[in-house]
Amino acid sequence: MDILTPEEIVKSFESALGNNLSDSKIYQSEVAVKRNLFTSISLYVKPDSFRDAVKHICELQEYPHLIVISPSDRGDNVELIYHITIYYGQHLKEISLLLSVTLSKNNLKIPTITDMIPGTIYAEREVQEMMGVEVVGIPDNRRLFLPDDFPAGVCPWRRDETGPEEMLRVLPGRKGIQHG
Amino acid sequence: MVEELTKTSFTIPVGPVHPAVHEPVRLEVTVDGEEVVGADVFAGQVHRGIEWIGMNRNNPVQTVYLAERICGICSACHPFTFVLACERAANIEVPKRADYIRVIVAEIERIHSHLLWAGVAAHEIGFDSVFYLVWRVREKVMDLTEYITGNRNTKAMYMIGGVRRDITEEQFPTIREAMDYYKSIFNQLKTVFLDDITIKLRTRNVGILPKEDALKLVAAGPTVRASGVPKDVRQDQAYGAYADLDIKAITPDVITGKVVGDVYDRIIVRLLEVKQSIEIIERCLEEMPAGEILSEPKMVKLLTALKKADGSAVARSEAPRGECFHYVRMEEGRETLATWKVRAPTYANLMSIPVMVIGQQIADVPITFASIDPCFSCTNRAIMVKPDANGSQVLEKEELHRLSIEKTRRLEANLAN
Amino acid sequence: MGLNSFKRALWVYHLNTGSCNGCDIEILAALTPRYDVERFGIVLVGSPRHADVLLVTGPVTRQMEPRLKRLYDQTPDPKVVMAIGNCGIEGDVFHESYNLAGPIDQIVPVDVYVPGCPPRPEAIIEGVVKAWLKLEKPVEEKVA
Repeated sequence: MDILTPEEIVKSFESALGNNLSDSKIYQSEVAVKRNLFTSISLYVKPDSFRDAVKHICELQEYPHLIVISPSDRGDNVELIYHITIYYGQHLKEISLLLSVTLSKNNLKIPTITDMIPGTIYAEREVQEMMGVEVVGIPDNRRLFLPDDFPAGVCPWRRDETGPEEMLRVLPGRKGIQHG
Repeated sequence: MVEELTKTSFTIPVGPVHPAVHEPVRLEVTVDGEEVVGADVFAGQVHRGIEWIGMNRNNPVQTVYLAERICGICSACHPFTFVLACERAANIEVPKRADYIRVIVAEIERIHSHLLWAGVAAHEIGFDSVFYLVWRVREKVMDLTEYITGNRNTKAMYMIGGVRRDITEEQFPTIREAMDYYKSIFNQLKTVFLDDITIKLRTRNVGILPKEDALKLVAAGPTVRASGVPKDVRQDQAYGAYADLDIKAITPDVITGKVVGDVYDRIIVRLLEVKQSIEIIERCLEEMPAGEILSEPKMVKLLTALKKADGSAVARSEAPRGECFHYVRMEEGRETLATWKVRAPTYANLMSIPVMVIGQQIADVPITFASIDPCFSCTNRAIMVKPDANGSQVLEKEELHRLSIEKTRRLEANLAN
Repeated sequence: MGLNSFKRALWVYHLNTGSCNGCDIEILAALTPRYDVERFGIVLVGSPRHADVLLVTGPVTRQMEPRLKRLYDQTPDPKVVMAIGNCGIEGDVFHESYNLAGPIDQIVPVDVYVPGCPPRPEAIIEGVVKAWLKLEKPVEEKVA
């Protein structure tokens, strides 16, 4: 496995996914006195080619290091970003990938990747309960953090009618949420 | 149809462990005689909705203090990672002196956390006197933290754009003296933990995590380094002043020459990391650049700049337990963060628990569990056990702890004969 | 005050209802040789049925609320409940969240509050001494 530069990585994704890669961005910043680089690459893929993108990452790095899935409520869509790193174990060579998939709220389904990266199971369970996304083919369907008697339709990270506002505990004497 | 397995479920203590400390996590194990045949982890009883608070109620500066209280033991790594992510998202430059001060505070926290863990591990095996001695030794680092930051636990040193307090030249001699103290007792600690026969008998070949499983289940920190994978964020994707120092990930073959991936290897990795931290702090003191410590000291200007910022960024750092990760997205005109995702290190290490525990004896479960150094408030998880069809009998912590101590006494009696 | 010695050893039971572990470490640090409360007879026990004092830390999460109530009922009288740390007293930074059941005194009655985030071991020891005095007083009055 050779170490590719960020531009070469983006090119390899373009040739593997073709049109299904909607956009890509490379971010680099200098760190401290010696000015070494911190690199992160954002890749925006379409939901249908999501598993192909993960397969391609497995080709770039054996056992990619998946960190977590971060969901964002964007109004009509939900954006899921899979945070993965490659080229770990070597001095100053690791690169962060942000694999971003946008799902419409009418069709919140995404396939599981636990067959390729078994360590994704906790992240997928969390996304299911917190955001209401259905992970198709997940081996373990239980809740992870929320108590079992939490109402089923309430998704704490959403900002729409399924948000957790009714579950908030406002203490006696306090005013309640004052945010914008 | 006769059921072969007798099911017993346990409630296992996690976190700063003491017989009477009831941690809100549960691990359920299925046993057949003395051997564990199944395990399941339940998490969630410490879930306080922190990310929701950060996204809907706090501005980013308030969230720095909220991030500090995600976990009281690793209260320097969460704000460190968070301010790194905010600075990258909002394009805020950090003065070089602040980078070095951040590293010094983070390494002091690493020493405190590893000594805390060493005491807890000794307690789990049954050596209470070692527990008290190691925590007494740890008090020197708590004094040092109080001298530099003003408090023993929650440090409040990090701020978006730099650090809030300076480490001046007058403070250097005290820091150097504390480091000399630890260098002088390090060999004693090594002898107590690594050369004792009973500890070796209790921890060698216990709780093995094979290298391939560690890679597949994305473990992090000393857990994965003890299995032979040199993953260390300070080496691979350096941040702060680590990018100037050449850090090498520590694997146990440095001392023993081979990698087994058991509890003994994890003790080796953590003790050697204490030594590494002492060396890092001394180098930072020598090479500290002069200059400012905060790029924007006026709070109102900082908040306005953050409100106008638009962008997203990730940041990772090496906490004492593993890799800590924050993702931040800011939208222009929005006072709170648009998206904030935290992943604490124990999140990743929990998935390896069933692999490590299956096949062991019941008496080894407490030490195996404590060897990943679980911090459940970080993970917001609780471990649960799945009840069997036969109904389960709950054994309290003391029972499990008692089984662990009994095994140690048996081994010691065998050695004496 | 007229108290020359305490008449009983104090047995303490600690419960974590979802805290960040900061207060819990300071409670354990009170046992270590620098502060060493065991020389006064204060011992951490493993079961609430043997305890005189309940040390509760943490903002109470929904999952831990029934457990806290059950443990309060299991502790025999006379008992004293201490709330340690700001989260337990009024929520601190977590005061509005969808998974909290309220600070401790909304669920069980609290006798001694030890504020701080986290409070120093000396503050915790002073709180335990106040609890001790509270426990001893009714005994004295009954004897007199």
